[in-house]
Amino acid sequence: METVTIRSKIKEIISNITSIETGEIRDSASFVDDLDLDSLSMLEIGVDVAYEFKLEIPEEELSQLRTLNDSVALVESYLSRQEPQVKAS
Amino acid sequence: MVAQPRIVVTGLGLVTPVATGRRQTWERLLAGADGISPVQSFSTEKFNVHLGAEVHDFAAADHLRNLDPTTLGRASQLAAAAARLALDDARIDPASLDPNRAGVALGTTSGEPLEVERFDDRLVADQLDRVGDEFIRLYPCHMIAAHVAAEVGFAGVNTMIPTACAAGNYAIAHASDALRWDRAEVMLAGGADSFSRITYTGFARLGAIAPELCQPFDRDRKGMIPGEGAAILVLETLERALARNATIYAEVAGYGLTCDAHHMTAAHPEGEGALRAMTAALNESGLHPDAVSYISAHGTGTPTNDRLESKAFRRLFGTRSKRTPTSSIKSMIGHTMGAASAIEAAVCALAVAENRVPPTMNFRQPDPDCDLDCIANEAREMPVEVAMNNAYAFGGNNASVIFRKCHP
Amino acid sequence: MKPSQATQRIAKRVVITGIGLVTPLGDDPEELFAALCDGRSGVATIENFDTELLPYRQGGEIRDFKPADYLGSKNLRPLDRTGRLAAAAAHNALLDAGWSEEARADHTIGLVLGTLFGSVHTISQFDCRALTAGPMYAKPLDFANSVINAAAGQTAIWHRLPGVNTTIAGGPAAGLQALGYAADLISSGRAKILLAGGADEMCYESYVGYHRGGLVCGGTGNAGSASRQPPHPIPFDGRRNGFAPAEGAAFLVLEEEEAARQRGARILATVRGHATTFDTSLATDTAATSASLSRAVGQALARAQCTVDEISAVSASANGAVRGDAVEATALADALANRTDAVPITAIKSMLGEPMGAGGALQVATLVTSLAHRTLPGIAGFSQPEKAVTLGGLSAETRKLPQSRAPIGLATALGLQGPSAALLIEGGADDGTSHHV
Repeated sequence: METVTIRSKIKEIISNITSIETGEIRDSASFVDDLDLDSLSMLEIGVDVAYEFKLEIPEEELSQLRTLNDSVALVESYLSRQEPQVKAS
Repeated sequence: MVAQPRIVVTGLGLVTPVATGRRQTWERLLAGADGISPVQSFSTEKFNVHLGAEVHDFAAADHLRNLDPTTLGRASQLAAAAARLALDDARIDPASLDPNRAGVALGTTSGEPLEVERFDDRLVADQLDRVGDEFIRLYPCHMIAAHVAAEVGFAGVNTMIPTACAAGNYAIAHASDALRWDRAEVMLAGGADSFSRITYTGFARLGAIAPELCQPFDRDRKGMIPGEGAAILVLETLERALARNATIYAEVAGYGLTCDAHHMTAAHPEGEGALRAMTAALNESGLHPDAVSYISAHGTGTPTNDRLESKAFRRLFGTRSKRTPTSSIKSMIGHTMGAASAIEAAVCALAVAENRVPPTMNFRQPDPDCDLDCIANEAREMPVEVAMNNAYAFGGNNASVIFRKCHP
Repeated sequence: MKPSQATQRIAKRVVITGIGLVTPLGDDPEELFAALCDGRSGVATIENFDTELLPYRQGGEIRDFKPADYLGSKNLRPLDRTGRLAAAAAHNALLDAGWSEEARADHTIGLVLGTLFGSVHTISQFDCRALTAGPMYAKPLDFANSVINAAAGQTAIWHRLPGVNTTIAGGPAAGLQALGYAADLISSGRAKILLAGGADEMCYESYVGYHRGGLVCGGTGNAGSASRQPPHPIPFDGRRNGFAPAEGAAFLVLEEEEAARQRGARILATVRGHATTFDTSLATDTAATSASLSRAVGQALARAQCTVDEISAVSASANGAVRGDAVEATALADALANRTDAVPITAIKSMLGEPMGAGGALQVATLVTSLAHRTLPGIAGFSQPEKAVTLGGLSAETRKLPQSRAPIGLATALGLQGPSAALLIEGGADDGTSHHV
């Protein structure tokens, strides 16, 4: 999946949770400093991101997400781990 | 102004993960019992945690004399059994009371969640046609107080207070006021919750469930363990209790109810609401913080709760917080949700009555953030003049109730 | 009945200083009152959720509810619909009573909220996603709202209300129970200012529940009757066959009278007395249920130290339910005694539907406005009572109330399967001021 697609899907998730228009969410947006999110909402973003991309991300990693870029990178790393399996099947 | 009537606890009914009945539960708690085991109510295969504090070997039919237990949700069954046990313990024959002056006030977190879970099972299986009238008959949470009142024939005040994990204390506050305000002469007060997939899923998702042990106030504590149960206290005025020569466990000296108004699931970072609740409860009781002999802490075993509760203790007691014996029975029976503070209220009443306090089990390493005397791993005999029962909940609800030795 | 010593001991008088509501018939007490007097109905075909699989589709929805109109531009995602309805009504109530954010900074305002379900929709959605996708995908924000006190908690957070925060469950009786408890907390000196009322939302899950319980209007109603008419709720009418599930939220601001006067608050009415009772037959024995409600009215009168002769109007909780309305009619006939024929009675759920937790506060809010205008809305659609009902005050017509210096209004409520409640308020003189100086 293209990075730009991943990024735009995650922006939509963030928008649903924060009521901030996707166009106003910067790529470097920090959940706490820029979006004023509490830990519950950050976890909600992590859960929805995992759900959207059908990933099984352990608790420890989900709760580390602090920025949009973090989230995109995490999704990419999980997707790349999954891809060989997809090709094999 | 005419003096307020004094309110006393004269009966205790308990259904918990370690035992059923007042005497059995109390002895088990003093012995440091372990009520935590692999969850049986539903499969935890897809979870990363697997332990719960379920009530095993409970048959409502052993306790109910009026209602058919098969027509009640599980929380109602637990509560109705606790009500029977409490009235028996108080040596009150409900038939001897004026039903219009006998009431019920109960708390819960989830009401009858098994009923909505059954509904959801059908919804996702596309079998909604199989939902009958039982959903609306059994699910509404006020049916717990309703079933208790119907079981024992109490036709007075009937209040269901679903203020989540502080609900038991809220119900005790409400019931003691109903007596003070002469709206009833006997009240059953307490709380109940059943073991629930929804609750378990939620706390698991928040990463709040401990994988192995519930270790309140321990440096390495990893979380709470969801549980189920019910506790009901018989409350009446001192005058009435004396007149019938009742055994008095303790006096309900005062309470404090506050709201953090801060966050749904996170406590105030300075323990603000918790501190206000404790202060209000002590003020109403006419007591200085130094008078507190024992604290039954909310002490869920999550890193945050125990740290913030300890902070609130330091703010209230100063350096004395290190020396005020404090324990969390959640280390033994898990977090029984709406029943928790009711069970802990019973513990406070028994501690006051018997000068014995239950331990915080699984305590290994002290945490500098929780610099308390947490009655580590062993029950203690000590004079208990005043016991404080704390409970905190989603919604920012805080409730502290003070129990005191009754000196008529 | 003689008021007991304890009744006299409770010295502080409790006044109503503000009303806030969101209903299918508007969000302003005067606007709602006008709609009710005109006999307009807020009950219509449901749009919020798919009713394709349901035979009856009538409900009292708030169609154009825009929470941001009340709650501003702050992120609303943490609140579910019940929470938003409650927070919006609380906003209106605080504003109406003059408790702006600045004004309440130094006051500990609390909240007592009545509800049936909280949000069974949120709870079910949370559970269903975990069931279908796996528990790791359960939504944390929904879990926070899965507790039944979520609306009360969210409202307190939104408006920064640090006082007592209690939720009371009991279906249609929960609202009066909440108002009564709040009044006691103030009259005993435990609290000074409280928002009291309730909230429930319309949702698929509860609608299915009511429907399967045979409670929704448009159904067959009385067992044996094949008629599927009428589709609208007609409280107390012989043709009624169920209620229309509805949604809404309403709060009254209750304050200790002296403090309210000192701050120059506008006093809308006084809470005179209340009582709650329980029918241990769980509403299976209709005679026992009506005796229980009648007992609540008697106790409320005793607490208020007034008699049935002083009652100017009744706002009943009757909603079109086949059994419930008969029970309430019998109870009122009994409780009103020699004035059974004389006291005008309204049933606002003929137009608002059954908003459960919000019902009690809406009944009382309507009474406050009715007493101020000396006018009581009629019961929409009402034409003939069933034979057994002997109440003379039932009418489809909006009626003028007799002139009285301090008219007393009675609100009654019957909960689902057992709880009953009654509450008495005293309106002001017809120049809009209270006669207590």
